[in-house]
This record gives sequence, C-alpha cells and structure tokens, in this order.
Amino acid sequence: MSAANDLERLRGSFAYAIDFALPGMLHAALVRSPHPHAEIVAIDLSQALSDSSVVAVATGADLAGLDPLQGVVVRDQPLLALGKVRYAGEPVVAVVARDAASAARAAARVAVRWRLLPPVPTMAAALAADAPALFDREAPEHFPKGPGAEAWREPARNILWRFRFRSGNPDHAFARAGHVFTDTYRFSRMSHLPIEPLCAVARWGGAAAEVWCNNQDPFLLRADLARIFALPEAAIRVHALPAGGGFGAKSYPKHEALCLLLSRLARAPVRLALSWDEMMLTLSQHAAEVTLTTAVSADGVLLARRGLLRLDGGAYADASVVVCEKGTYRSLPGPYRWHAVESLGEVVRTTTVPAGSFRGFGGPQACFAGERQIDAIARRLGFDPVAFRKRNLLRPGEAPWAGETPMDSDLEDGLDAVAERIGWKAPPPAGKGRGVAVGMKDGGGFSRRSLAVVKLARDGSALVLSGIADLGQGHERVAATIVAEVLGIDQSCVRLAPIDTDRTPHDQGTHASVGAAMVGLAIRRAAETVRERLLALAADVVDEASGPVMLEAGTIRRGNVTLSIPALFDRAFSPQGSELIGEGEARNPFDASAPLGSRCGFWMPSFAAAEVSVDPETGRLAVERLVVATDAGHALDHAGCRAQTEGGAVQGLAQALVEALAFDEDGRLANGTPLGYRMPSMLDLPPVFETITLEHGMGPGPHGAKGLGEHAVLAVAAAIANAAADACGVEIDALPLSPEAILFGRARVDEGGTG
Amino acid sequence: MLEPTERITFDLDGRPVTTTVPTRRLLIDLLRDEFGCSGVRAGCDAGLCGACTVLVDGVPGTACLMLAVEADGRRITTIHGLAGPDGALHPIQHAFLEERALQCGSCTPGMVLLAAALLAECPDPDEATIRSWMSAALCRCGGGEAILRAVRRAAERMRAGQ
Repeated sequence: MSAANDLERLRGSFAYAIDFALPGMLHAALVRSPHPHAEIVAIDLSQALSDSSVVAVATGADLAGLDPLQGVVVRDQPLLALGKVRYAGEPVVAVVARDAASAARAAARVAVRWRLLPPVPTMAAALAADAPALFDREAPEHFPKGPGAEAWREPARNILWRFRFRSGNPDHAFARAGHVFTDTYRFSRMSHLPIEPLCAVARWGGAAAEVWCNNQDPFLLRADLARIFALPEAAIRVHALPAGGGFGAKSYPKHEALCLLLSRLARAPVRLALSWDEMMLTLSQHAAEVTLTTAVSADGVLLARRGLLRLDGGAYADASVVVCEKGTYRSLPGPYRWHAVESLGEVVRTTTVPAGSFRGFGGPQACFAGERQIDAIARRLGFDPVAFRKRNLLRPGEAPWAGETPMDSDLEDGLDAVAERIGWKAPPPAGKGRGVAVGMKDGGGFSRRSLAVVKLARDGSALVLSGIADLGQGHERVAATIVAEVLGIDQSCVRLAPIDTDRTPHDQGTHASVGAAMVGLAIRRAAETVRERLLALAADVVDEASGPVMLEAGTIRRGNVTLSIPALFDRAFSPQGSELIGEGEARNPFDASAPLGSRCGFWMPSFAAAEVSVDPETGRLAVERLVVATDAGHALDHAGCRAQTEGGAVQGLAQALVEALAFDEDGRLANGTPLGYRMPSMLDLPPVFETITLEHGMGPGPHGAKGLGEHAVLAVAAAIANAAADACGVEIDALPLSPEAILFGRARVDEGGTG
Repeated sequence: MLEPTERITFDLDGRPVTTTVPTRRLLIDLLRDEFGCSGVRAGCDAGLCGACTVLVDGVPGTACLMLAVEADGRRITTIHGLAGPDGALHPIQHAFLEERALQCGSCTPGMVLLAAALLAECPDPDEATIRSWMSAALCRCGGGEAILRAVRRAAERMRAGQ
C-alpha cells in the first residue's frame, strides 16, 4: 500500500500550504468589523500607514474595477466590506507589511467610524414583520427545475433562497393517514476548525497571476479569479497544496482573490494566513430549524412527509443555496418509501458568520430531525424503532421517486448490522437507553465531470494527475490502488502529482464524496487507456511471436515471448525513455427527467446505534457504546474507510454532545476562540466505539465503490439523541444535548408535559 | 528601537545549537523559521490543540506558548528527532502507520511525541491513563480511536523490546 505521504506526515516533513513561502513575500492582516450590522462612515488609515513596514493597505474602495462579489449561485459577498458590514468579524481593511507581526500591529491602528444599524441575530428576528433588510431587495426570481422542483431567489425579505420539491399527491396521502405527527427540531452549528487554517500566497504579474493555497476547489477558484480580475482562465495558475484538514471550510473560493488583489497593490508576493479565531469568523455550519409533518397508516406504514428545512445562512450566501437544495431534496425525506413528499427549504439571512459547506452538506440537519421524528413516531405508536424503520426503508433497486437513482445500498442489512452489535434484541441495562438512526445523503455530485491523466514511465512507475485536493482523506492510496491493479504494477510505484491548474486535468472540485467513486472511475479509465496503449505498442514491437498480447503482473507476454515494461520501452523508444499517457473521464450527466437536473451519483447511507446513560442529578449524558456503519460499496482501502467512518462519527458525536457556536443577543460570536469553543478530545470518545465498513457492491466506482467522506456524520447525532430520549423519557428536540437541556426536558416531563 | 535579544544554547534533537533570539520570540517560530523544524505544526496559537507539541527535557509542552529563551539549557525534542539516525521509524511512528492513526497529519507529530513521553514515563499505561494523557492534543479529523489503538500497540511492542 502506497504510503509515501503518510511516512512524510509521520516524520514531520510533509509540506502543507501553511509551510509555503516565496522569497520577498509580504504578509497581510485583516481588520474586522466589531459590529454585526453597521455602515462604514469613514476609515482612517493614517496611523497604520505611518508604520514604515507597511507596504499597502486595501479597503472596499480598492475593489473598483473588479467584479468583487463571491458566492455560489448567488454572489453577494465582497472581498472587503463595501460601505456596510453585515456580521461581526467581516473583513473591512487589509494591511500588507514586511512581516506578519507588523501587519497585525498596523491593522490594530486602523480606525473606522461606524453608523450602527439594528442587528438581525436570529432567524426569528430576520423573519419578524419589522425586521431590517440585510440587503436592498431585488425582485424575486423564480427558477423552474426538473419535474416537481422549483426555486426562488429572494422570495421575501431576508430570505435568500427558497426551494421546493414535490412528489406524488401529499393531500391525498394525508387524507388516508391513520396518524399525523408534526414536530419541530432545532440544530446548532459547529465550526470546522481544521488544525491548519485557510492560507494563501498570491503573486500578481509575470506571465500569470499565481496562487498557492489550501483551497480544495482549484479550478472553481481559477474561474472565479478570472471573473473577478477580468483575466483569461489560462492566465491564472492555482496550486492546491496539501491541506491540514478541511471538513468544508476550504471549499469554494474564500480569501484567495483578496490575497491576489493585495499582491497587485503591493507589487510583491503576499501571504494571507488566517488564525483559528479568524476561521471561526469566516464560515460555519448551518444552524437549522426543521419542521416535519409525517403521515402514517393505522398499521405503521409511512405514507407522506411534508418538511421545512430552514437554514440560518448567516450574512452572505457562500454555498447556502446548494446546501439548502441538497439537504431539502435528498436528505429531508430520509431513506424511506413515501407515497408523497413535499419538501421546502429556506435560507434565512442573519447578521452572523456566513454558513456554507460542512461535511454532510445539509444532510446532518435533515437527518437529525428526520430520524428523531421517525423514532418518536415508532415509540408513540408502540412499534419497535428498528422494526418500524425496516418496514419502511427503501429496498435495493427501489427509486425514492421517478427520475432519481435507485437505492444502491442494502439499508436493512446496514441497520441490522448496527442493531445486532449494540444488542438491540435484549433490553438495555437498567438506567441506560438505546437508539438507532439511518442517515441519508446523495454523493457523486451534480451533473459532474471529472478528468484524470495517468503517465507511465519507462521504469514502470506511474504518475496520476487528478484535481482532487489532498485534505488528508487518503486519495493518494485510492488512486494508487486503482492504477496498480489496472497496470499490474506495485502500489508503491504510483504517485499522485501535486495539483497545478496549468498541468492537472480539470475537476469540478473536491465535493460530495466524489474522490473514490467518480474521480476513481476517471483514474481507472485513464489507467485502462495506458494499458491499451501498452498492449498496442507491444503488438507492434513484439513481432517474433503472434497471438494476443497480455499484461500480467507488470510483464508483457505474447506467445512465449515475455518483456518487462522497461524492455518494451527500450525496444519501442530507445533507452532515452518516453511515457505512455492515458486520459480518463467520468460523468454524471444532465438528465431532464431528474428533479435537480441530474440524478445523484450514488446514495450514501449511514447507520448508527448508541447506548447512553444519563446522570439524573446533573443531566450529564454519557455515550457508553457507539456503533456506526457505512456502505463503501467496495473498500478500495479498508483502513482508509475505517478512518473516514470513525472521523465522521466523531464529528457527529461532537455535534450531539459538545460542539456549538454560541452567539450573543446581537449575533456576535460569544465563544469564538480555541479556548472558548469546546471540541472533543480522547476523553469524549465512547468507551466502546465500533465501526463497520459494509461492501454492498452497488456503487458506480471501481468494483462497485462509493465515496465515503460524508456518510458517517449523518446518523450519529440522531442515534445518540434517540438513545437519550429512551434513557430519560424526554422528547429531545434540539442539539447539543447539554446537561441543561436534559434537565429542563425532564422537568417538563415531571410537570406533566410531553417532554 | 533596538529589540532586546538573548543568546541561548540548547540541545535540539540531539545536537547542540546556539543562537541569538529576540526575547519575545516564540519557541514555535524559532524552531520552524530558523531551524526548519516544519514538523512543529502551527495550529490554534493558544496552547490548546497540541499540534506544536515538543518535548522539553522529555516533558510535553506546546511551543506556541513558550518563549524561545525558555529553551536555554534544555533538551528540546521535536518529531524530527524521533526517528533513528538511519531514518528508521520510531516504534510509535510505526504503530501509527500500521493503525492508520493519521488522516491530514496535522496533529500527528504532536500525538506521536505525546505518546513517546507517556511510554517513557509509564511503559504499561492503563486505558484511562492513555485517554487522559493523549487528550492533551486534538485530532480534528476525528481519528482519536485509531490513535488510541496505535498507542496501545506501540506500548506492547516497546515492552516486548521490539
């Protein structure tokens, strides 16, 4: 198993983006707004400019001549505030100096005069009748999509986006229902906080504008930089350097364009590296409020679900539109068979940190609510929660509705696997509770195209060029496994090349768990092309024998003649060597019959079972056992699959128990420091923590592989909440499950309420 | 204004080094920028995440909270000093590789050094001790369980003298 990069990581010599430097590089620091909502009256730079080490300063005025707004689908976030700030922490001024400490010192001397505006700290405040508008409203715009789906931009004040999907006839299904349940759930938001923050070095001028960064979307970034600076894409070169984690924080363009602007102003390379505190002010997960109305037949068959997924998008769009559509369409209905579904999603603007990509992409919010309610319904109707789910889960090959990819996992098998490991059939020990959950999300991207190139050298070693960014997810090993198998060479002879948009073939970005399945397929096809060319070359060169040419274990065979790859190269190209190059492509095509315009690449279910105890005095919840299963389709790298599943599960555990951004009454981040924001450590891991990698073999990737990046996080918080509800008879409806929430919930039950 | 400096001598990964540093310079910056110890990973800058963990006379400390002058007269061990002189992995590094106890690798040098300090002090730690000790650093990839497996495996190996 190829482990070259892991060896470097272990030795401490692996080079990350944060380690990158250019000679003569200057350093930037940002001045951020202390106010959640304010107009900028005046900016006084005189004190900052009096520092002899300061080289350049930029404000919103320096964005003139640029197309300076960023965002996915909706572009509304300026590189620096333009006249107004919409959250506390928004960058207002950038200072460039000879060293980072001087830049920070000068930034602290920038004085801004403000005219304060009323903050809009919560979704409720944003939707109130007298709420101030965060943006001057444009006319609402309606976007018809595929069958049953449509969207609106700015349908109402402070609502950035509304998406609706309808399948079947909900009115008819609800009319037949034996039971109808309506429940509302609230989901708190986490900060990604990868250990390595966002970091970019930019150099303006020369033949190309060049950026070295840890952004995971080098080609989306190249296109965005081209638009912002009115340059041809070919005049921009992005190097996506290895990143120290991401979890969504490094997806879609962030501060790279600002860094490039600063380089242009300073006429030198500039580095802009954020701190952890600043990362917490740059992007967060979406807080959510989810209301579900679910119709069930008298005998326990799910009939229809109406859902509203309301996401707190914060001040700017970032990726909220796509998070909303994906979560609403693909995760809100969950993994069940419905006669009718009506899913509504909304992104509400507030004067808080912008929300965007976070592992699971709308799935964790929808799955927490969906699986809490399914559990609550089972218990209210007196059904066993596992048996109730199994009765209603989609079966392999069964599409959730017309125009969508049929289920490509055995959901009952997955649920059985975790239920069996937790010992579901026997009652839990006294004082403990158990819960299960099934998470559901799509993977593989949206009308996606991935390209890959494999280059085989004379010595039989291979280089893979692929645009999947290295965030620590193990793509190198997956690529090596695939190429080694096709070419019959050792995995240690396969290397993944660094990403350079001048040389790497295009990819639409490291999203939607595409690495193993979609990009893996492109890599496999590229390797197969090399293989075909190798065989054709041998057929041409080996003329002393006849018959078919074979490639076995890296050796060419034709009749009784065998040749090594180097020997074949020498006969064909002379000992000076050459290369055989193959290209591969994987597509998830447009499809007019699909509600979102293309079917999902594959389904990513996850299964969790938890056993918890609750201290009746303090309300403290302890997860004593946690079992999480994911379907890898086919495990290309077993240890890597386990790592992804454990990592996602720990993020779900953190969501359930400890991690939550807190905001004060004006919407300022109240725990926005590493010491104030609680993160899980080894002491938070359950004493018994098991993961299971299922291989149902129905994915689109090599040998039926699926992506595995996002599954595990989906089901864990709900399983723990369901176990907590089982343990203390409280209807848990919000995260995180703090001792206070448990105690207050218990108090409500004791007072005779329903929890 | 001339910045006050101090001349310091310390043992860095087994070799004596002498340098003159501004008194307010952080140890992490000295190690990364002057001595090229890129394995002293920068993280939270608040002594919390443990990515910049080094051993000071064998005791773990976070280099982001130490002044460079505090290294004077001490023995500083970074991840670069852990492998053998021939480049062979330390048994703890080997166990991390076997258990795939690393994803992005940002926490890895700190975790490996923490484990080295633990097993030097306590060759046969119980589970509660391992968890408590290793909680001094954070793995944001959620790889804690694999790290625990690696520490247990390394402890076994090292006790067996392998």
